[in-house]
Amino acid sequence: MTIKILDPTVSAEESAGIAVAKRVADLDGKVLGLLHNGKVNGDRLLELVREQLGARYRLREIVVVQKPSASRVAEDAVLDRLARDCDAVVTAIGD
Amino acid sequence: MALTAAEHEVTGWAEAVEAYFERGWTDGLPVVPATAEAVQSFLDAAGRKPGDVVLREATRRRSITAEKVAINAVMAGCRADYMPVLLAALEAMADPAFTLHGAITSTGGSATLVVVNGPIRHRLGFNAGGNVFGPGWRANATIGRAIRLVTLNCLGAQPGLLDRSTQGHPGKYTYCIAELEEENPWTPLHVDRGLRREASAVTVYASEAPHNVLSHYGESAEAVIVAIADTMASLGSFSPGESFVVLAPEHVQILARDGWTKPRIREGLYARARRTRADLKRGGKLAGAVEPGDEAQWVHRGHGPEDVHIVVAGGGAGGHSAFIPSWSRDRNSLAVTREIR
Repeated sequence: MTIKILDPTVSAEESAGIAVAKRVADLDGKVLGLLHNGKVNGDRLLELVREQLGARYRLREIVVVQKPSASRVAEDAVLDRLARDCDAVVTAIGD
Repeated sequence: MALTAAEHEVTGWAEAVEAYFERGWTDGLPVVPATAEAVQSFLDAAGRKPGDVVLREATRRRSITAEKVAINAVMAGCRADYMPVLLAALEAMADPAFTLHGAITSTGGSATLVVVNGPIRHRLGFNAGGNVFGPGWRANATIGRAIRLVTLNCLGAQPGLLDRSTQGHPGKYTYCIAELEEENPWTPLHVDRGLRREASAVTVYASEAPHNVLSHYGESAEAVIVAIADTMASLGSFSPGESFVVLAPEHVQILARDGWTKPRIREGLYARARRTRADLKRGGKLAGAVEPGDEAQWVHRGHGPEDVHIVVAGGGAGGHSAFIPSWSRDRNSLAVTREIR
């Protein structure tokens, strides 16, 4: 006897209307955002990223923001600010 | 409205059970094959359309429909009439206060404790008595399991992929109890949380495993409180997060006999569940070296007595209560209560 079983899984929805941000070729003259996830040592990891990228490119400005808690998603205002002010954003945990 | 889930044809029942394993759709135990007929009967029992969205999880962009919940409920071994409990629990988990994505993926390894209150406990045959956290009761076992299957199959929290639990705990298979309201001389949990006594409700709580509190020989309220508070103050789980205390009937009788009200119990536990900053530093709970003054500065578990939630459950014999620490180490995930409709 054949039986048909139903697929129990759910996939991520397509992000309708949300395009991936434009890629930057380099960071010369660009604004770099650093989003610290809130976990221990994330700030140290990002400091290393800042040093490395700072040595390689002439960054115009660096915007550093921190989530209040690693467990919760970044607030809309924080994400809006990064989207508005930055050409590229690096986020990190350092667990 | 018709079901929309993809169908996979298999040659028989035993092959179907194996197919779930092969596809990675189980919790490691065999599941009941979910056919369209069974799934439709679950939806009918809940009065839901297949496409009704029960839960949205923004971080991973998942929308879980009633159809997907029903499929996983059939697989878990639920009965059709369990659906309203399961749906209420999932809706509670969708509350932003619960922080669903963090709770199901964190190294902290939490499981969703479900506490059921109200008349539905009897109608569906939940266990609130002996071996309340243990096996043997279909409603407890399968509703807790269905939540795990939804977490695995619909929220992408597969072990080693999105679920990064360092160790996890056995409650991640199933973790559902009912309150023994008949042995509770105070208010039951759902009334504490603002619902009518006649209502049926679920409370969900992202949490660690139960920590046993054995106190057999004190025979006074003070002894019971001291033992529970000491367990709550243990360094391993110490944090400003919430606490659930599941009181065994024997401990309840001692507390009630000595005139302790629920507010007094909550205050008494909060007052005693504390450590010095020096202790927290010595145990690696706070960074830095012990400094002058740390030995005299006390830190409590939770923000106040209102963070200590009391539930009555367990068998009539034995001085065994349980302390269940929150997964959240502060306010990141809070217990959420929903009425079952």
